[in-house]
Amino acid sequence: MLATTQATETHPEPFKWPSEGVTRAPYRLFTDPDIYAQEQQRIFRGRAWNYLGLEVEIPNPGDYRTTTAGETPVIVTRDRDGKVHAMVNRCAHKGALVCLKKKDNVPSLTCVYHSWNYELDGRLKGVAFRNGLRGQGGMPDDFDVGKHRLQPLKVEIFCGMIFGSFAEDMEDVETYLGPDMAPFIKRNLGRPLRILGTHSQTIHNNWKLYAENLRDSYHATLLHTFYTTFKVNRLDMDGGIILSDKKWHHISFARRANLTEAAEYKDSNVHSASFDSALEGPGLLQAWEEFDDGITHSIQTIFPNMCVQFTLNSLAIRFFAPRGVNKTELFWIYLGYERDSEEQSQMRVMQSNLTGAAGLVSLEDGCINEFVQRGTRADPQCASFMEMGGRQVESEKSSRATETSVRGFWHGYREIMGF
Amino acid sequence: MRKITPLPLDTPSHEMVTDLIVRYAHALDDGQIDLWPGFFTASALYHITTRENHDQGLPIGIIRCSSRGMMADRVKAFHTANIFEPHCYNHMIGPVVIGPAKSADAVSSRCNFQIVRIMEDGRMDLFASGKYLDEIVLEGGVAKFKERIVILDSRNIDILIVVPL
Repeated sequence: MLATTQATETHPEPFKWPSEGVTRAPYRLFTDPDIYAQEQQRIFRGRAWNYLGLEVEIPNPGDYRTTTAGETPVIVTRDRDGKVHAMVNRCAHKGALVCLKKKDNVPSLTCVYHSWNYELDGRLKGVAFRNGLRGQGGMPDDFDVGKHRLQPLKVEIFCGMIFGSFAEDMEDVETYLGPDMAPFIKRNLGRPLRILGTHSQTIHNNWKLYAENLRDSYHATLLHTFYTTFKVNRLDMDGGIILSDKKWHHISFARRANLTEAAEYKDSNVHSASFDSALEGPGLLQAWEEFDDGITHSIQTIFPNMCVQFTLNSLAIRFFAPRGVNKTELFWIYLGYERDSEEQSQMRVMQSNLTGAAGLVSLEDGCINEFVQRGTRADPQCASFMEMGGRQVESEKSSRATETSVRGFWHGYREIMGF
Repeated sequence: MRKITPLPLDTPSHEMVTDLIVRYAHALDDGQIDLWPGFFTASALYHITTRENHDQGLPIGIIRCSSRGMMADRVKAFHTANIFEPHCYNHMIGPVVIGPAKSADAVSSRCNFQIVRIMEDGRMDLFASGKYLDEIVLEGGVAKFKERIVILDSRNIDILIVVPL
């Protein structure tokens, strides 16, 4: 990748945040390999909850899936009693990956290298040739299987999502989310889920640029012009931003305006956001009102690297995994509910055209963060300027022309990183 | 009593099928994206998905157009709404195999493809590989896609897709 390859500079001088605070983010944050390494320890292996997947992905005893917490490979399993476990995907013997597939169903976990065999909860069961062969070799007499195991993570399931943390004394997920965030997760995910499809995208930028991008409500209608191009009747006239108590998670929401609905839409409980639009294929925006709070579009981030999108009826989890200081893999997990009718599923399917790697509304996000990465890499000492909506880091209930949640991200980031 | 054999419905010849598949690729490779919807019937399905989704029978992939109108909207968005770094494709299409017909009026075919993507700065990458599963019919004597399912081998897309595959 010629265009995104960059010299990984070392910065002998210690990192210092500018005196202007979170209205500035030094570009060095996106390119410095030392900061990237510190993030692995302080965030992904520190006091944060990592999104590890969905319970519905491992429904049966013996199911596992693999993922990453930051750059650390992780296995998530369901044991014979139905309990979910997470552990580092690294054999206690020589450190090889134990599970290679994305998903599988197995009676136990076996490392391919020397056949060390583990229970589904990560405890070591047995070691090949422990007693040697024909009286020769073998482990020393004091070898104890109880002293070796796959390194466990603390695990909690919240609304069908599996979270893992390396901090043994981590507070529960609901406390981590806080009282302003947890109820909205329950609104969106608090019922049996169904996966409708997944894919991923490689974006050539530091993971934090995507974390900023998700919180950046300022760019929405400026970069993404699909709705205005097609004169789509915007139902989401008013909206706002809610920050969590630690500022690092957020909800950006838009409410539909009080429009009088055409009788036929009302009767079928279906409204079309594309009424009066210039779309030739208006089936794209067929939608129905799922909740009675009037919110039709929302993005909710959970620090460090995931969000839940609910645009019209398109429900998806986006999980963005760091793959190096200037590379990120963005996963799209499209969801519906078990209770959905065939017609409702179809609407979710068609609306998936709006987002994802080829999303009509938001495909620009696949390259815009790379443009920042490429624009900033030569000047690590310079910083971005983020004063839209003021310099404060507070919820903004009536406007989305603000960078308050981007400042909120940096507020939380500085705290956990000690910057 | 005279036995009545129903007349076979008119279907495109093998040569017409191959010709359609090749002309489609050449149009996209030559940057003639405006021609793209014209390769399909009015109510055609165009669907890009991944092998992983396809094998599990999951309905959401990466692009799903259920009419030529939706394809025209994609073309319009390409020209006026979407922002991306300019690039073009080069399709390499493998031999076309005609399979058992799924309906009386259509020919079912499959071929493999690889797509090289060339960026403005000269960078060239293998962007996509996979297979086309096609249903091809005759419309006014011209072969058109009634269905084109594009199944990508990889779950992962580099950067984005804005030009159809």
